[in-house]
Amino acid sequence: MSLDLKPKKWAGALREVTLGAGSRRPVAVGGGNGLPLHTFEAAFPHRPALALEITDVDPVRWVESVRQPWEGVLGRPAEAARRAVADFGADLLLVHLMGTHTDRGNRSPEQAAADVGAVLEAVNVPLIVKGPGAGQKQNTVLARVAEDCRGEGLALHSATNEDYKTLAAVAVAYGHALVGESPIDVNMAKQLNILLADSNVDLNRVLIDPLTGGLGYGLEYSYSVMERIRLAALGGDAMLNCPIVCLVGEEAWKAKEAKVPADKEPLWGSQRERGIHWEVATAMTLIEAGAEVVVLRHPETLDRIRKQLDSWFGSEPSHDREGVVQNSFRATDEHR
Amino acid sequence: MPLTGLQIFKLLPNTNCKKCGYPTCLTFAMKLAAGKEALEKCPDASPEAKAALGAASAPPIRGVTVGRGDRAITVGEETVFFRHEKTFVRHPGLFQIFDPAGLTAAERDAKLDHWRAIRIERAGETFQVDGIAVVETAESVAAAVAASDRGFPVAILAATLPGATAIAERIKEHRPLLVPPAGANLEGYAALAARLGIPLVVGAPDLASLADAARDAARAGVTDILLEPPGADPRLLHHSLSAIRRGALDRIHPGLGHPVFLCVGAGEIEKAVLGITKFASLVALADCGGETWLPLWTLRQNIYTDPQKPLQMDPGLYAIGEPNDRSPLLVTSNFSLTYFIVSTEAEASGVACHLAVVDAEGLSVLTAWSAGKFSGDRVAKALREMKAAERVSHHTVIIPGYVPVISGELEDALGDGWHVLVGPQEASDIAPFFRDVWGPLARDLGTHP
Ligand code: B12
Ligand code: SF4
Repeated sequence: MSLDLKPKKWAGALREVTLGAGSRRPVAVGGGNGLPLHTFEAAFPHRPALALEITDVDPVRWVESVRQPWEGVLGRPAEAARRAVADFGADLLLVHLMGTHTDRGNRSPEQAAADVGAVLEAVNVPLIVKGPGAGQKQNTVLARVAEDCRGEGLALHSATNEDYKTLAAVAVAYGHALVGESPIDVNMAKQLNILLADSNVDLNRVLIDPLTGGLGYGLEYSYSVMERIRLAALGGDAMLNCPIVCLVGEEAWKAKEAKVPADKEPLWGSQRERGIHWEVATAMTLIEAGAEVVVLRHPETLDRIRKQLDSWFGSEPSHDREGVVQNSFRATDEHR
Repeated sequence: MPLTGLQIFKLLPNTNCKKCGYPTCLTFAMKLAAGKEALEKCPDASPEAKAALGAASAPPIRGVTVGRGDRAITVGEETVFFRHEKTFVRHPGLFQIFDPAGLTAAERDAKLDHWRAIRIERAGETFQVDGIAVVETAESVAAAVAASDRGFPVAILAATLPGATAIAERIKEHRPLLVPPAGANLEGYAALAARLGIPLVVGAPDLASLADAARDAARAGVTDILLEPPGADPRLLHHSLSAIRRGALDRIHPGLGHPVFLCVGAGEIEKAVLGITKFASLVALADCGGETWLPLWTLRQNIYTDPQKPLQMDPGLYAIGEPNDRSPLLVTSNFSLTYFIVSTEAEASGVACHLAVVDAEGLSVLTAWSAGKFSGDRVAKALREMKAAERVSHHTVIIPGYVPVISGELEDALGDGWHVLVGPQEASDIAPFFRDVWGPLARDLGTHP
């Protein structure tokens, strides 16, 4: 009996969004016309892109095992960027201007723009630039960065339903992309895109950040909302078919389970490995749900996720595809 | 696929005798199609009708039970591709792969006892090692018996048919799962599983032969089958897992309607992640450290939570340690994850306290607050219902640091003599808060926490 597994065809496809312009080596994401990773029945012009997060000031709350690979460059964004690209192989970077927050140094918009400028000089990958969080300061900081770095095709993070006008305007004026953030809700994600489109933002330059719940802390909500956004996009909804970006590192490393040392919880195993596994599991799960850009903190996570994605998207034909599972602990037929 | 009303109608006698309580066979057929009636109500239905309807209403993926007694685990019976469509019902069992070669009996028992003792509470669930997958070696009969004696469901990772037979015979009452070696000729294993009435894993190099092999095993008399998907690399594994689930739901081949079994080698946590999210029902893991198991248990908990109703605690006043009328009173929401985090941290502080868990429809503190379920009025009402005023003499309530905005409304609603104290934002700061804020305050109030 032969198996009649019909490939699933969809009416719609994701928009293709290109990050980076000007002096950047651009990275395009999205464009696929099937469920995430369903390469057996759909076409995906681009693989999910992997970003590393760098910060303008020393991120003192990062746990030791994430600080370790960045030793010597924390709080020095240009050097961190160089390491992230040259040593760790990031496709793009998220520059988190956390130091501009009023409680974390209150750095000025000028300083922020200078920091981003230094990163642009240090590396040629596209940048996502994340402000200090919702509010007036966020807008002044990102507007200044947008202006000073015009033409570089940055992705500004982030516009929300309550506050999008300033960022929409500067993104359009200075040639940047925009990340629209909404709290784990399909309708709010759609509403925001409608608002952005009404403000003359080209949705081919928009990424959706549906807000990430980390493993054990709301991951299931993000997972299902992302699946539903993807299904809507494939169903032809032109207001929900932007690629999704997930800030994985930030959420994964917030978890107590990623941070507690082994001697405090003997059954939990090594803290270093556990933390990386926490980030790997969060990232992999969200890529399965439809993330097209994941932002990570630990370079080892990036390396491991890249190896996984090579299996789906690698240029080299995957070896032994039709072969059987060969694990060291499983005997093979020869033993019989 | 369920039958339509018209298809069912064609199977009925069409005499309109009304014995079923409906005026015509067609009306009755429509009710059946909608799942609102049972065929038994028609006394004249033919055996063919019964068979056709029975097959159509059977779950698209069969249930399989491994093991016996308290720890027995049933998997399968899933009905959807996306968890938001309904829910994933039977979470995958996580089995520990155990190679007893070279271990003394004492060493072997120590490992099994250690695994049996593992219990990790998280957000209303107890994580434990669900079963032991024993690798067949010379020592395996004793190891399988030792695992079964400890109540573990056992999977036999067979190397040879005679070896597997020896193990299976010894523990057959415990319903072990028989896992033939990769690439094995399945006939002998199927005969063994059929004879002993135990579940069998069926593998094949491609999906079509896998479905055929499962069908053949069923024909050979094996009632409980699991499929081991082709999966030499992540891409192929993902393809196989997705195709099996979709094929089972669409009922395109009877051989696909079984739960899935997956073996995960050392250092392959990504493969287990793929399995847990994408429809695997039993996952045998070679790694044994908490750094591998904790993320996987947690992922399973996330994916298998009912998306329609978050895990909730019963609202009420919970005691942490042995609190008295001078102990601090904390208030939080009834989202299990929130309760679990807050109660764990409160307990770790070493200060006995009262934890008032307010019905916030299972939402986290901030989510509940934005949805109007953690307002001052609601919290006050809940505290009154719990008779909190009779439990603490200081009439002070500590609220989560993320919702300072409710303090005024809460104080007003609670009325005379109540104070609201804004606690820290993160539960992990409860211990220092007790020490630095509550301690001195309680001394001022003339009480001793
Ligand atoms: C998962 C999630 C959801 C899930 C709900 C999950 C659930 N069961 O609660 C869903 C998708 C349904 C959801 C919906 C909404 N959400 Co929501 N959601 C989240 C998310 C990602 C995680 C929440 C979570 O689970 N946290 C973990 C738990 C354990 O946290 P917690 O309960 O607060 O407990 C911590 C502390 O408060 C403290 N604590 C708790 N109790 C106590 C007690 C004491 C005494 C002390 C000292 C400390 C303490 O300890 C815990 C750990 O430290 C957050 C963003 C984020 N990353 O945090 C947004 C978030 C909470 N959501 C938000 C919003 C706006 C909404 C919606 C209103 C959106 C909408 N319009 O649809 C809806 C409202 C729900 C509704 N109408 O039904 C906002 C709230 C904004 C605000 N500041 O008010 C947030 C912060 C996202 C954001 N940045 O915009 N959400
Ligand atoms: S009892 Fe059976 S035969 Fe009689 S009307 Fe009902 S369906 Fe038709």
